[in-house]
Amino acid sequence: MTTYIVRRLLLMIPTLFGITVIVFAISRIAPGDPVSLSMGPGGQMDAERAADVRKARMELYGLDKPVHIQYAKWLGRLARLDFGDSIKHHRPVIELIKERLPITLTLNLLAFVIIYTVSLPLGVLVAVWHKRFFDRASSVVLFMLWSLPVMWVGQMLIGYFCGPTFKNWFPPAGLSGNYADQLPFFPWLADRLWHLVLPVLCLTYTGFAYLTKQVRAGMLDNLQADYVRTARAKGLSNWVVIFRHAFRNSIIPVITIMATLLPAMLGGSVIIEKIFSIPGMGLLAFEAVTTRDYNMVMAVATIGGVLNLFGLLLGDIAYAIADPRISFESAV
Amino acid sequence: MNGRGGIVTFFLLLFLLIIILLQILSMVQSDRLYERLNYLLDRLESLGPARVTPKKEALADLPGEEYPGDGGDWLIWRFSVEPRTLNPISVEGDIYTMWITTGNIFERLLEYDFDEAQLKPWLAESYEVSDDGLEITIRLRDNVCFSDGKPITTEDVIFTYETIMNPGVDAPDLRNYYYNIKEVIKIDDQLVKFIFNEPYWKSLEVVGLFEVFPKHIYHFTDPAEFNNRRSEPVGSGPYVFEKWDVGRKLVLRRNENYWGHKPKLERIVFRFITNDLAAVQALRAHQVDCMIPTPDQFSEMSIDKEFNKDFRCLAYWNPGIPYFFIAWNQATPFFKDRRVRLAMTHIVNREAVVKHLLKGNAQVVTGPFYINGPQNDPNIEPWPYDPERAKQLLDEAGWRDTDGDGIRDKDGVPFRFRYSIASGNILYERIAKLLKDDAAKVGVDVIADPLEWSIFIERINNRQFEAVTMGWGGAIMEDPYQIWHSSQIAGRGNNFIGFRNEDADTIIEEARRTMNDNNRNNLYYRFHRILHEEQPYTFLFTRPTFRFLDQRFENVIVHKLGLNPHEWYVPKEKQMYK
Repeated sequence: MTTYIVRRLLLMIPTLFGITVIVFAISRIAPGDPVSLSMGPGGQMDAERAADVRKARMELYGLDKPVHIQYAKWLGRLARLDFGDSIKHHRPVIELIKERLPITLTLNLLAFVIIYTVSLPLGVLVAVWHKRFFDRASSVVLFMLWSLPVMWVGQMLIGYFCGPTFKNWFPPAGLSGNYADQLPFFPWLADRLWHLVLPVLCLTYTGFAYLTKQVRAGMLDNLQADYVRTARAKGLSNWVVIFRHAFRNSIIPVITIMATLLPAMLGGSVIIEKIFSIPGMGLLAFEAVTTRDYNMVMAVATIGGVLNLFGLLLGDIAYAIADPRISFESAV
Repeated sequence: MNGRGGIVTFFLLLFLLIIILLQILSMVQSDRLYERLNYLLDRLESLGPARVTPKKEALADLPGEEYPGDGGDWLIWRFSVEPRTLNPISVEGDIYTMWITTGNIFERLLEYDFDEAQLKPWLAESYEVSDDGLEITIRLRDNVCFSDGKPITTEDVIFTYETIMNPGVDAPDLRNYYYNIKEVIKIDDQLVKFIFNEPYWKSLEVVGLFEVFPKHIYHFTDPAEFNNRRSEPVGSGPYVFEKWDVGRKLVLRRNENYWGHKPKLERIVFRFITNDLAAVQALRAHQVDCMIPTPDQFSEMSIDKEFNKDFRCLAYWNPGIPYFFIAWNQATPFFKDRRVRLAMTHIVNREAVVKHLLKGNAQVVTGPFYINGPQNDPNIEPWPYDPERAKQLLDEAGWRDTDGDGIRDKDGVPFRFRYSIASGNILYERIAKLLKDDAAKVGVDVIADPLEWSIFIERINNRQFEAVTMGWGGAIMEDPYQIWHSSQIAGRGNNFIGFRNEDADTIIEEARRTMNDNNRNNLYYRFHRILHEEQPYTFLFTRPTFRFLDQRFENVIVHKLGLNPHEWYVPKEKQMYK
């Protein structure tokens, strides 16, 4: 097992190197650059000066050097874990990410917990009541939810539940009210949770369908397996058979799904952040791409890449731990 | 059919019914909107292009009377975009940085008077321009100080100037305006003299309108120190910086040591709300006091009686508003001929754009100057929508449909061009559709070409376009040199359409040297006339500034230059925040 993990970790290095090369190349090949973008069309000044200004800016950001040298410099900085400064914000990239990460994590963790607490029992129930009315009805409802576009639902929720037009139940934007700074901890927390209701709702409702289907499929496989019949034949009660035997076995794929979700947890959602005016990772990355903020793009891509690789590794390890039939010794 | 199929069918039918119901509801809703729109159009026609209510109550002249009203309460202002920095020198022309800092935190030597639209001394006590326009002497007030109590001296003025000119400071575009300054001489702590290389009518603006930075706080040895100082600004203004929650809000607190008249509102909070619908909802729930609505939101809400009870709906003209245009690239075989450009103007139905696409909240423009400013010749009538005349002009220019495919051609080149617009802008997309439609009727094929903003700019800078729509920002008085002088065609200059006209060049150059306002504005009238005849752009329209503002604020005056929140107040009994 240890050899396997070490081997996988070593393999990550060239993979990560490949990821950074590709992202770096794509970001530089894409038309436009941060300097022209900040200067606007024509540079908004006398033509003679505009050329000088452009040159001065390119030098300031180190964009005047050939691309391979820029990449080498970037790698050198990365070795010291320095992602450089954001061109757009004039600040260290890592500082900006630190500000936004907790927000995205809070949102995604909440959504994640809700999706699992609803989907796991629901998946079990629909498998138990296979082909009965509840199974079919829940499946239709879940797929209807799954197919509702978040953009539309978000706008509708804001339009109808965040103002005097229909029900003024929730705040329409942001993560805290105007008074939040002056509140003691518990009212502050209440205020924060109140602001989180709609964004979390939008993050969760599409997730139920997928996970419920996964659990249902796993349960159905196991419920038809011989050992379940044996357990029933021993005279165990129905619920003991379902939860002690079938559920435990069918939860294996669900655990591994969880591990691969790690990078998605930090990624954030551009649409939901934009609709609810939440300063999270999604908007940061989106802005970085549209403003050609190279350092930020590289930082987000690299961190995303590392998390993805670790997520995959964790998934594989979790598999081995959860299912004793899987062993990596033969693979080494 | 068995039972299981029955349930599926039932749900499918139910789903279908719901969809049909939703469709009907949305149709009813759009009918209602249409009714309201008609009502609005009628009302607007009776009101004229914009509801401007300028009141001639002069702004308290410094040192003069106090602002009226009770002290206290906050103003919560929604921004759709967060500024990058609060340092107005190292910023790349970010309007939001200006809105937050200029006049609130930082102050300038001179300011435009809100009603007269003339430069007036602010931090300066007086100024003097020499007859040849080559020397400007400025005397500072002796009672002005920064928010930390230190007096403002000419040291600070010169420090700010030197910072802008420091090649290591990330302000090359701002620096560009200061190259005409030959020398800055400190005469004493109160008196400073600027000497220029050439006479230029904008010199007074250049030296009068920069934010004075306190030297004792911002001094630096390495320019990078200054470049990275993006937050916690310190200046002399009526507000001081309190906090900035990145991505959420930025708070300014009243400067209790302010040297001039203290504003009444205790805090100004800028809240960053990206979603326009959410912003209106926040306004209606009284979580936000002031916002710039989208034109559609303005049309819809300004006729809502309930909404008007709680919120002022303001639409007013001010010099900052941009004008929009279609620029014809004269390097293409189509648009080098004046007749073709004129024909294109004749097929753009600008009245329809204003009336239907912009719901009447706009005005057709004929040139590049601010419509209520002194440079704009109000007697120039816009070319009418006239497809027949356009056909004639195209025939005259030699563009005829010789191969019978319905598209005009000349020397084997069909009249087909790409019309590039920034993607994601609904208004531009609608204009593109209108243009395509009208162009097809006269035998011209327009291909709409929406581009991501950075690619759009790249295409313009590399002259890889045939026609584009854009807007240029405005000012009270503009120097047309950057956009229209033929020297600006080369490189990546702003004259990206390649407009070259000797008369225009001479006028632009002469106007730059003309210090007398009347003489200069006469020259600009002539320039405006040349642009009208040549139609290098098809000038489209300009729009008033829209604002929603909570009714609890009093003394809200629409000046010639717009709103001044420093004079607003909230009566004690209506105050919301402490």
